[in-house]
Amino acid sequence: MGSGKTAKGMERVPRLLRELAEGLEEGLVPAGILNDPEIFELEKERIFSRSWIYLAHASEVPSPGDYVLRYILNNAFIVVRGEDGQVRAFLDMCRHRGMRVCRAEAGNASHFRCPFHGWTYRNDGTLVGVPAEREAFGEGFNKAEWGLVPIPKLAEFDGLIFGNLDPEAPSLEAWLGDARWYLELVTKRSPQGLEVLGPPQRFVVNTDWKLALETFISDSYHTLMTHRSMIELGIAPRDAKYAMYGEQIHIPGKGHGTMVVGGPPGAKLPPFWGYPEEMMERARTSYPTREQWEVARETRIFLITLFPNFSLHNPIRKPDHRYPTPVPMLTFRVWHPLGPGRIEIFSWGMVEKDAPEWFKEKARHSYLRFFGSSGTFEQDDTEIWSHVAQNAGSTLGRRLRFNYQMGQNVAPDPNWPGPGVAYPINFTDENLRNFYRRYLELMLG
Amino acid sequence: MDITREVLEFLYREAELLDEGRYREWLSLTTEDVLYQVPVRLTRERPPEGGYGGVSERMFHLDEDRTSLEMRVARLETGFAWAEDPPSRLRHFVTNVRVGEPKPTERGEEVEVRSNLLVFRSRWDRPEYTFLSAERRDLLRRENGTWKLARRVVILDQSTLPTHNLSFFL
Repeated sequence: MGSGKTAKGMERVPRLLRELAEGLEEGLVPAGILNDPEIFELEKERIFSRSWIYLAHASEVPSPGDYVLRYILNNAFIVVRGEDGQVRAFLDMCRHRGMRVCRAEAGNASHFRCPFHGWTYRNDGTLVGVPAEREAFGEGFNKAEWGLVPIPKLAEFDGLIFGNLDPEAPSLEAWLGDARWYLELVTKRSPQGLEVLGPPQRFVVNTDWKLALETFISDSYHTLMTHRSMIELGIAPRDAKYAMYGEQIHIPGKGHGTMVVGGPPGAKLPPFWGYPEEMMERARTSYPTREQWEVARETRIFLITLFPNFSLHNPIRKPDHRYPTPVPMLTFRVWHPLGPGRIEIFSWGMVEKDAPEWFKEKARHSYLRFFGSSGTFEQDDTEIWSHVAQNAGSTLGRRLRFNYQMGQNVAPDPNWPGPGVAYPINFTDENLRNFYRRYLELMLG
Repeated sequence: MDITREVLEFLYREAELLDEGRYREWLSLTTEDVLYQVPVRLTRERPPEGGYGGVSERMFHLDEDRTSLEMRVARLETGFAWAEDPPSRLRHFVTNVRVGEPKPTERGEEVEVRSNLLVFRSRWDRPEYTFLSAERRDLLRRENGTWKLARRVVILDQSTLPTHNLSFFL
């Protein structure tokens, strides 16, 4: 097959999407939508060029001039806080001849100076310096027309900064919809909000971004086998079906999904993820609604995935197998697509700003030892995701249809106090079916 | 035996255990208070004072003590650690070894050792492989006549890891 879009590839995409549309409500998903170059080309245009993509947390750029470099597809953006305190994002590309003006992954700068010809921009994007301006471009040169290109849309929700390549995109608020209620379980757990524990770990996995997302949006079912080693060690609860319990909730029409897990029946687990009591006391009054507090109090494992590629995971944990008391961890991640069957994971450890220092240190350990590049849970996920992607890209394998039928006969839980559609069990593919409905809507639109 | 020779023998013996997956024996080469860190590496501008920067003091790929190292080893022994079962074929190349002046401390004789590290990793039947390149900054301590690893900080040369996990030790 040559490079670019072959005639055959162009036929393949509509066929695969049709097959997905026809099979989805029966729980049948064509393997061929994974690790496919033509599907990926369309995803770049229809999904990643239109969706709100997580860029950074406000605590990564706390002071004027602080910046981090982040990506949407292969576009590099400088996410920078200006002298006026406002966070902006600019394409890291000199307006003159295209060189990158940002010289680091993170730092503090009042100005960005292009190393090619020296055009210099203030950290609010304004072009302020052009070497030999008068001699080179004449008296009438209007620098105001040549500032850095801002990202088409940028918005923040409780410190979470998202960008969108589509100038016509709906607001972030509309995009999040009812997912907001669930995000707040984490962002409003403390009146001070969250902070990053440091820069993200970045690592590359040969898999499809959708496979990584699937695990975090819905797939509780994999824990009993993929993470069996952690059950054997007594790190995960002894009841191998521990992740089955709780509620799986999706936001119809948006593609977002969350899992709220209390704990296996009979398991003695402390309330409120096992956070220290002082943090629990603060949460009691910092949540916007009583329902959120009551749900949070009974939660031990919590995940949210926002369409298309942001996930957070917040489980009760101990920093190691001998540590006597729980120290829950929180990770944010972006499943950044690099190409068909290839992603880069950006993985952050997060913690409440006003958590006690001893707790922050232990929460960092809980995170590092279980999730991220060396995480003893995540190691096995990435190993498995890469083999699934490899199979899905094989000539025979891509013709198969995967089984997404779990939980099809379960009725929604009418008593769930939160928004969205809740199911009273996590061994269900309901969040995945909802995700792929939204995926299809965008891919066909 | 001179100290450089002793340190080289320690590092080569250690590399052999890591290459062969003899992790229990490897653990016995570490002190009870061992600190084992792989900080996140970042692209940063050249610091005015020279040298290189971009070694995060806040975030790591691994930040371990003896107990958590034991946990990782115990996990590999469960038979369900898919990331390393089948095991990666690893080869630790340790070169450019620089041995500091041994110093007596209240914990025993200690010596700082810096070395360059190249780790080759191959999995399954694919011809592709990954390399991790780094500097090790070690502190060895003599306990009951034998050298043990008391501290290791691995300064990676990669900002974004080219591999899907760090399921092994550097």
